[in-house]
Amino acid sequence: MLVSSLAFLLSISEKKDLSWIEPSSDQVLPELITYPNSYGKLEILNADGPVQLKNHPFFEPIGSNGRACVSCHQPSNAMSVSVENLQKRWEETHGKDPVFAAVDGSNNPKLPQELKSSHSLLLNRGLFRIGLSWPPKPDNGVPVKPEFTIEVVSDPTGANSDPDFGLKGKEPSISVYRRPRVVGNMKYVMSPDPRFNIKTGTLAVTDPETGLVVGMNMMADSRHYTQKAQAIDAYHGHLQGHTFLTPSEQKQIVDFENQLYLAQSHDPWGSPLVENGKPEGLGAKAMKEGKVHVLANNNRDPIFHWFKTWENPETMSKDLTKEQKEFRQSVARGNDIFMFRPFWINDVTHINSIGLANPLRRTCSTCHNGQMTAQDIAPGWVDLGTTNYPNWTENRIFNQKTDLPVFKCTCSPSADPHPYLGRVVYTTDPGRALISGKCKDIGSIVMQQFRGLAARAPYFANGSAKNLMEVVDYYDRRFNMKLADQEKKDLVNFLSSL
Amino acid sequence: MRNGILIFCCWISTFCAFAQTTTGKYVAFLACPIVRDSKAMPCWLAEKDGTTYYLGQQGSSASAFYPPQLKHQVLVEGFIQDPQKTSCGGIVIDPIVISVMPELDVACTTLLPAEDGLEPPAPVPFPKYEPFSDDTKEFQILYDFDSDYLTLHKTRIAGEAVRVAKIQQPARIEIHAYRGKSKLSDGTILEEKLAMVHRRAEKMFDVFVGLDISKEKIKVIEHEKALGGKGEGDYLNRKLVIKLYK
Repeated sequence: MLVSSLAFLLSISEKKDLSWIEPSSDQVLPELITYPNSYGKLEILNADGPVQLKNHPFFEPIGSNGRACVSCHQPSNAMSVSVENLQKRWEETHGKDPVFAAVDGSNNPKLPQELKSSHSLLLNRGLFRIGLSWPPKPDNGVPVKPEFTIEVVSDPTGANSDPDFGLKGKEPSISVYRRPRVVGNMKYVMSPDPRFNIKTGTLAVTDPETGLVVGMNMMADSRHYTQKAQAIDAYHGHLQGHTFLTPSEQKQIVDFENQLYLAQSHDPWGSPLVENGKPEGLGAKAMKEGKVHVLANNNRDPIFHWFKTWENPETMSKDLTKEQKEFRQSVARGNDIFMFRPFWINDVTHINSIGLANPLRRTCSTCHNGQMTAQDIAPGWVDLGTTNYPNWTENRIFNQKTDLPVFKCTCSPSADPHPYLGRVVYTTDPGRALISGKCKDIGSIVMQQFRGLAARAPYFANGSAKNLMEVVDYYDRRFNMKLADQEKKDLVNFLSSL
Repeated sequence: MRNGILIFCCWISTFCAFAQTTTGKYVAFLACPIVRDSKAMPCWLAEKDGTTYYLGQQGSSASAFYPPQLKHQVLVEGFIQDPQKTSCGGIVIDPIVISVMPELDVACTTLLPAEDGLEPPAPVPFPKYEPFSDDTKEFQILYDFDSDYLTLHKTRIAGEAVRVAKIQQPARIEIHAYRGKSKLSDGTILEEKLAMVHRRAEKMFDVFVGLDISKEKIKVIEHEKALGGKGEGDYLNRKLVIKLYK
């Protein structure tokens, strides 16, 4: 009994040497580990027990450029990677860490790699270059004929004008720049919707190996539907592997991903968020035990369950300070705004355009409707406006300028136009349209899960929101929500605790 | 004006109501939709020639009525039973079929604030879905104007057609795709794009094949001539019919 308790205590650790895991590290990722961040602590739960990193394909440099999967999916950053950690890593290694590999860790692989400026998109926005064939490769085996032409209007990185891999190069491709997605809580991310895709009115896609319907919420453009396909693609692309990922390696990677749960676990003062199992929607244990594919945009069993014990200081632990209690009340108010505060949702492709009305008077949880993660339980690509003119996310608070490429997409007269921008769309990332070839998909990006946000700034697929306040501010502006300053803080505190 | 429309397969309440209506004045027009907020649900209106009409209210993807969209004109086809009957400040059109016109119209931006006394009626209950009889031989799907989008309701019909086909094991399945014309109250004729016929047919063919119906059994017939254009019942020509043959 004593031995097992000690072992458990040892497994709950907060090891500084795991704050950045290098490939081929001879360490153990414990069953439960917490990492500090500016909002408190993040918790990583390995449901299958401690993970030996040595010889594990997720943690080994199995490609040719020294990278491992973990290079861009760090546990300390909720299995993504933060700009803060990247900048620190640049200073510590003088840019030699394989995360900065020329292939996609720089703005353009042909730039002088020793210069920090050549990696500005990664260091400032946390963005990796994603080179996608144009015209698109077959989508799930079905040939794709694009409904639009694409021109490069502005190319600050030079990648899209490159004579070899640019849009008019020998192997035409389009370079867009995106944040790495969280690898964790995958049972929610991967859960499939019913047989028809409500967004497209077509059959949902299936896993070619099993024939089973798959979810489409894993990647920003949903170009791969299974973790295995994503792993193989990442091996050849991000890791520049020249041979193949063995079936055993594929299984190890997918198995590791599927047993990993993560969520914020402690408040900014270091106290646990969850006490006596309340609030029941917080913490990694809740993520492990939660039901999947629950449509929760309702007042019966909401997205993150209830925060009732946090609504009143008298129902909170007596050990908490006044500030801690006020923080918890703020989180509960933020949850109420997220769940129940109506506003006009307008001009969002694949929300307003699927029969729900434009505009639609509903709440944040209308679109972020999946219990525990707040992803859409249907295939979740939407054009929120973060990439398309006129709503693209120029960061107003921090006054960032566009350093992303700008494309002009012109839709064929025979195609359905983009529902709210028409037949000519200027965009920094065509998103799902680069895969589907559909004009109406231009700028649509698959929404992400809300977990571990505190550990992985910046936000949005293009890293344009430097912190959570900037995320809230974008929504406030975009949808004219008229949030008061206190309401914005409540939403930030709420998001930081997930 | 009398409506003598009959459809052989009546599954969705909106269309059932439309099909069974025999009274009222038929109206059909294109207009910018207007959304009016209310204490209950936002309601949707349209103004034509100085008259404001009530079209329906916001619901969900399970609702029978899918509202219009600002930035797009709406094609309204339906009946006025009683010009004195209003909701949300507009004359009620019921039954009604609306289509969101695909092209952008940036002039369509009117959003009105809530006003006391201007409320939509109680929400219409969601359509009830009964499985089709296992011996059904024909299935019909109706579309919005210039649209091949299969809504939740339409995918349910498609799914039922496949389910019944698997039970009956027909020797041949025919997918007939059509396009239509709509005659507006001012005499204007709107004609759906020719491409709609192929797009509707192709999508349904993909559904059948994707749900493991042998493609050798399926015959697709694309009816290119636009049907209708006579006023009442024009919406019934924007359709796809699935026929099962022994």
